[in-house]
Amino acid sequence: MMAQFVLFIKGPMVWIAFGVFFGGLVVQAWRFISVTRKKDPDYLPGAPKKKKNKKKKTKKTLGKAVAKPKRKGIMERLQPLIRFADKSYDNLENSMFFTHPVVAVVSVIFHVFLFVTPIFLLAHNELFRKAFGFSLPGLSDRTTDMLTIIFLMCGAFFLFRRIFTKRVRAITTLYDYLVLLVTLTPFITGFLAFRQWGDYQTVMIVHIVSGELMLIFIPFSKLGHMIYFFLYRLLIGSEYSFGQGKRAW
Amino acid sequence: MSTPVNRDQIKRMLKARKSRMKRYLSHCMHCGVCAESCFLYMKNDKDPQYLPSYKVLNSLGKLYKKGGRVDRAFLLKIKPIVWKNCVLCRRCYCPVGVDVPAMIAFARSICRSQGVYPEETQSWL
Repeated sequence: MMAQFVLFIKGPMVWIAFGVFFGGLVVQAWRFISVTRKKDPDYLPGAPKKKKNKKKKTKKTLGKAVAKPKRKGIMERLQPLIRFADKSYDNLENSMFFTHPVVAVVSVIFHVFLFVTPIFLLAHNELFRKAFGFSLPGLSDRTTDMLTIIFLMCGAFFLFRRIFTKRVRAITTLYDYLVLLVTLTPFITGFLAFRQWGDYQTVMIVHIVSGELMLIFIPFSKLGHMIYFFLYRLLIGSEYSFGQGKRAW
Repeated sequence: MSTPVNRDQIKRMLKARKSRMKRYLSHCMHCGVCAESCFLYMKNDKDPQYLPSYKVLNSLGKLYKKGGRVDRAFLLKIKPIVWKNCVLCRRCYCPVGVDVPAMIAFARSICRSQGVYPEETQSWL
């Protein structure tokens, strides 16, 4: 029975998990985009609509009075770029890296290592080669071990922040701890398995199951910010948006 | 003020913008980074009550959680949150990108539809 269960989580379950993960991400992204396709209605439901005709008329008369502009010189052409760079610096000053330097740096490290560690782990790549016949470049075991330790420290930082920071505690629910647990468990068990601490068989089973559960959990939970983070940047018209944020608010 | 609220109307309003608002609510990571971007939070001794996400979760979040089955006492409870603790200046910074003011504004519309809005505005007029 146990052997069958292990075989199941090592074989078909992996494919199911990855299928749900990628399929779920695509479906959720598509649904999010289709929901936000229409612009948000005005804040006041009864607000009168702007009349466009009047504006056009004034523009036309203005256009007749003003002479046609000459071709722009190179400095003039560069003006928008200069303005953009200037604005970007100003915006950087108001960004999270200035207002919350520690949280910003820790979360960047946390999220980068969250991807780098499992993807470039040698042992994972061995399994990858078995399945597909080729593998990604792997980091050495010592490096990934260090990355895992740093990652877990960042996770502990988030946990302590949740518990001890007043403003974060005010909005924390049990679900937030669950999300953190789901993210950290595969890394903790992977760390234990690499060190061969505890019963290897049990640790390995927990490692595989928690990893698969995390993959399945991602598209349908708060962990979906993995894609929403980027999708939101296409929607918002703000300093930190990609493009011009024309689609919505 | 003791007239019962029109629950059907609240439910209808909640349902009309459910797909968008529920997404916004569920995408809030409860990280608390929006705090410093709110000037009311900064000016009120960093009281967590003025945290943008706190305001949203405790007004519109609760409305959706209860599915619109609320009474006037509840609306009066969230009245100071949506009308007094937020001025809709739209400067709240969310690292994920959730539109906080849209949610507060929506909670305001629901309150207004049930006649829950600050009396001071009437004296201004």
